[in-house]
Amino acid sequence: MVLRPFRSSRPGTMPAGLVLVILLGALLIAMVGSADATLRQSQAKRGNSGWRTDVAEGVAGVADFLHLTAPRRGLDDAMGREAKTQSIDDLKNELAAASGSDGATATTTPDPATLRPTLRTPTAANPLKLWVGGDSVTETFGTQMVRVSEGTGLFRSTLDFHLGTGLCVPSFFNWPEHLVKDVLPKDDPDVVVIMFGANDGQNIKMPDGKVLERFSPDWYAEYERRVAGTMDLLRSPKNDRVVLWAGPPPMGPDTKTHGMDRISNIAWKEAQTRPWVHFVDTWAFFTDNDLQFKHSVLMASGEMKGLRQKDDIHMSDIGGTLLSWVALDDLKAFVDLSGSKTQPTPGEIRPPDVKERTEVPETVPGAI
Amino acid sequence: MLFPTIDFAVFFLVVFTGSWLLRPHKVAWKVFILCASFFFYGYWFSSQDDLPITGLLAFSIVVNWAFGQAVFAAMTPDGERTQRSRRLVRAAVIVDLGVLGYFKYVNFFLDSFTARLTMIGVHLDGPFVNVLLPIGISFFTFQAISYVIDIGRGVWRRPVGLLDFAVYLSFFAHLVAGPIVRASEFIPQLDAGADPRYVPTAEPFMLIFRGLFKKIVISSFMATIADPVFALPQDSSSWQTLWGIYAYAIQIYADFSGYTDIAIGVALLLGIRFPQNFNAPYRALSLQDFWRRWHMTLSRWLRDYLYIPLGGNRGSELFTYRNLFLTMVIGGLWHGAHWTFVIWGVSQGGYLVGERVVKQAWARRGAMGLPPPLVKVLQWVLTFNVVCLSWVFFRARSMGGAFEVLGRLIGDGGSSAMVTPLVIGTVLAMLASQFVPQRIPEAVTTKFARAAPVVQILVLGAGLVLIDALGPEGIAPFIYYQF
Repeated sequence: MVLRPFRSSRPGTMPAGLVLVILLGALLIAMVGSADATLRQSQAKRGNSGWRTDVAEGVAGVADFLHLTAPRRGLDDAMGREAKTQSIDDLKNELAAASGSDGATATTTPDPATLRPTLRTPTAANPLKLWVGGDSVTETFGTQMVRVSEGTGLFRSTLDFHLGTGLCVPSFFNWPEHLVKDVLPKDDPDVVVIMFGANDGQNIKMPDGKVLERFSPDWYAEYERRVAGTMDLLRSPKNDRVVLWAGPPPMGPDTKTHGMDRISNIAWKEAQTRPWVHFVDTWAFFTDNDLQFKHSVLMASGEMKGLRQKDDIHMSDIGGTLLSWVALDDLKAFVDLSGSKTQPTPGEIRPPDVKERTEVPETVPGAI
Repeated sequence: MLFPTIDFAVFFLVVFTGSWLLRPHKVAWKVFILCASFFFYGYWFSSQDDLPITGLLAFSIVVNWAFGQAVFAAMTPDGERTQRSRRLVRAAVIVDLGVLGYFKYVNFFLDSFTARLTMIGVHLDGPFVNVLLPIGISFFTFQAISYVIDIGRGVWRRPVGLLDFAVYLSFFAHLVAGPIVRASEFIPQLDAGADPRYVPTAEPFMLIFRGLFKKIVISSFMATIADPVFALPQDSSSWQTLWGIYAYAIQIYADFSGYTDIAIGVALLLGIRFPQNFNAPYRALSLQDFWRRWHMTLSRWLRDYLYIPLGGNRGSELFTYRNLFLTMVIGGLWHGAHWTFVIWGVSQGGYLVGERVVKQAWARRGAMGLPPPLVKVLQWVLTFNVVCLSWVFFRARSMGGAFEVLGRLIGDGGSSAMVTPLVIGTVLAMLASQFVPQRIPEAVTTKFARAAPVVQILVLGAGLVLIDALGPEGIAPFIYYQF
């Protein structure tokens, strides 16, 4: 072989130059072989712009052209990890076909009076099914939501979070498809608590390759469509499901996670026309009086408590607990929870003068 | 910069190339490695505001080097200790532990203090203290302490130049999670003049490959059952809780030993050999045996710089038990400022003491007539399960959480859906791997070394694709980075 003459005479060793060739060769094979997966991860983590994604896209293009990604795709397929790419419209049509109606009806303006869900009053013997899901921010929040909701004795709860996900990069994780294909058939929840946004302040790449620049008018239109579509998919035909859609809280100034106010505004706006969706305003509880990010805030007990983890993105346990009680409090507008076995302590809630906003503006002055 | 990332791969290719090009020029090589190590360390901090934390590493380097020089100067020409050298060593330890204690424990003590005050009705309003724990501080502080103490003991009679010491303390391969390397093991290698014609490859390639597999595939997979069991214990049946605990035992082993394998392999490719840190710990037949196999460089650090200074076994049985117990409690607290780690240390110390007591009683009593192989099996089962039970405190986020998980072991209800044949098979396979004779991986390594370079490229490249495919999308940080 061509490299054999350069080999070392001592067993188990090689000249440094040959080691470098082997390292480069192995990494090159790994890079092209896993090019698609690397691109998916890069898009999910950093969006569709930036030099890293550009490089990943270039490598994936070359690798695809040369069919070098085929073995990896085969492996992914064998493990059931093929990218889910069904669009929201396809999913709506599929649902409509299953229920015997026209898919377009799901997008027409519903009559609020008839679509406000009615939930039965839960008891310990007959609890409601609560499903909580979303991105990594939902990990701690969801963990506490499950704990708090089950503590009331009125819910049987399930947590389902996926790191680095959102509504911008369905090729990485397709939430609408996951909800329709996995969550609704399996869990059929009475209450859906969902939170997206921390990974969505990024450009959107459309199936035709067009890139919608973050927070441009086209981006707004597409993101609104995705939020609205996901909300529609979550509606129960029998009107017996409530969706609590929590807007993403503000992130710390050094986190490079921007636009949570805009994403909250979109979710709030779409929720206004969908009676089965209630928007949970996290900003009122995770900021100071001027709606600015605060790592720690004053609780009803008079204590200052840290609501966020050290990264200033994810919630601390107490932050998750606070939001869980807020969500349950909001849920009382839909269902009688008077049979609850537990109530929040003053150390778990904000003072009574902290209220959810009646209107969520497109931008919050001073927010990143 | 996590090891299993593209960022690290690019970084390492640059460092590998520069390192072997500069290796004949010792000073230039050391400066290059030092700069690379600081770049590696600074890369951890995403915020500009956190960058000054790299100054803490520089502070530790300068201060401990200066203490080392002063201690050496205070010794007698024969290398005997003096009153002054002892004081200087004590001062160095106080400074190091003071810095470590501030960053690692101030939140813990303030939180505990305010919680106690709240219990008696006194509410303290801010300012809320939230001290960022600099990554790797426990590891480089322990190395620095060992350097000064070894000089003070006359064990290491060669105080080194600032550059050598800086490279020793900051070398990126061991900087953030060990192994805890001693100056006497590391510094002689700096001047040993590694030959670029004979770079070890077969062993480091196998170590890195094995480490990546353990971290990306095994550790990540085990987390899929361990994480939910510890996050929501009430949802798990006793059967699922048991396997969740076993899965965590495998997860932390695969995660930490996987990291160590990669660290040792990376250093070997640069011509530096680290001490072994794991030796099939889950084949241990006693807890004492376990600690000789698990995080070995920490165990020997605790032995040499804590257990022996406390008096070791130079006294009565009770005195030895006390020292053993205290060493493990402090070892537990080293892992983190949480009561769960304290209880973990207490359980380890208590069991080690109990084990000694039982062994001595057993020795007096003689064999019980059981066949030796059966005794060994029983010892293994007992040791493994004791280790697993103590991991519950190590893993749980709170004392309440730990007891909730333990309570679920005997509770009714809950789901067992996550206990799949694949989970059971993986746990059993990883346990079985502890009993594989060393000659088998050695034979594989030898065979790989004999393969043509092109074959090695193909095997390594395909292996990386396979590992990436088997693992989840996105890599969680190594568990031990938090310590």
